[in-house]
Amino acid sequence: MIMITGGAYQGKTQYAENRFGLTDDDITDGNTCDISDVANARCIRHYELLVKRLIMQGTDPLEFTKNLDMPIVIMNEIGSGIIPLDKSEREWREISGRAGCIIADKAIEVVRVCCGIATVIKGETL
Amino acid sequence: MTTLITGGAKCGKSRLAEKLLDNCRGRKLYIATMKPFGEEAFAAIERHRKIRAGKGFETIEKYTGLDEIQISGKSHILLECIANLCANEMFENEKICDPTEHIIRGIEHLRKRAETIVIVTNNVGSDGVDYGSETNKYIEVMGRVNALITGISDNVAECVYGVPVVLKGRLEI
Repeated sequence: MIMITGGAYQGKTQYAENRFGLTDDDITDGNTCDISDVANARCIRHYELLVKRLIMQGTDPLEFTKNLDMPIVIMNEIGSGIIPLDKSEREWREISGRAGCIIADKAIEVVRVCCGIATVIKGETL
Repeated sequence: MTTLITGGAKCGKSRLAEKLLDNCRGRKLYIATMKPFGEEAFAAIERHRKIRAGKGFETIEKYTGLDEIQISGKSHILLECIANLCANEMFENEKICDPTEHIIRGIEHLRKRAETIVIVTNNVGSDGVDYGSETNKYIEVMGRVNALITGISDNVAECVYGVPVVLKGRLEI
């Protein structure tokens, strides 16, 4: 598994497309996909939003993440701000953080994209 | 040796910080700055306690004023976390204050009594939301405090979903 992370709109998806020769059809979107199809995807983007949907449908996102077997996972970094006032937003932010740690731990490589520039922060340098 | 660990929420900062003190021999102190108010704070404190269990830490709870902590002899200190300390000091009284100098003085006080000190802080300024003047001030102070701590630290790392990214010095894990 390869994890691509970074803030919003930093070029994570573009990086995945360029590096792995993916097209839009290869990338499933955690915000809109059919959750039962996730297992068949080659790449998912917005994993943090999939976490939110899993919480809403009553599935344990951490168990789901532990069992996840996908070549490429794209996930925004969302924890570097102020603690949200809304309890469900707090819960989402917290569980996303833990889910991200599970993915990074499983991943053989973690890439962080900032301003379009990718830095390998875990694993072999490209 | 002073090490600062920063990063977003729930991204493995504590775990990394504790790991850095795993091989330290001698007295280990955990200075907790989070006020145990409310169900979620209790849950967070309990979770951190479980992670630390069996690692031989003595816990000191201090929500403001690190410079008042009395420690005899040299210790290995884990201070967690600056974001809570800063909020506690800033919003302690009705009129908000700028606790920057007080926090740095407190850290210097601890450094003199520590063989090793690992400080955990938080990145709070990267969500792009305008929260209004008081919270915006907090974000500003946190940015400045973190930069000042970086200045006096030997090592600084940012934790990204559990992966340490070294920004200054080096980590011995």
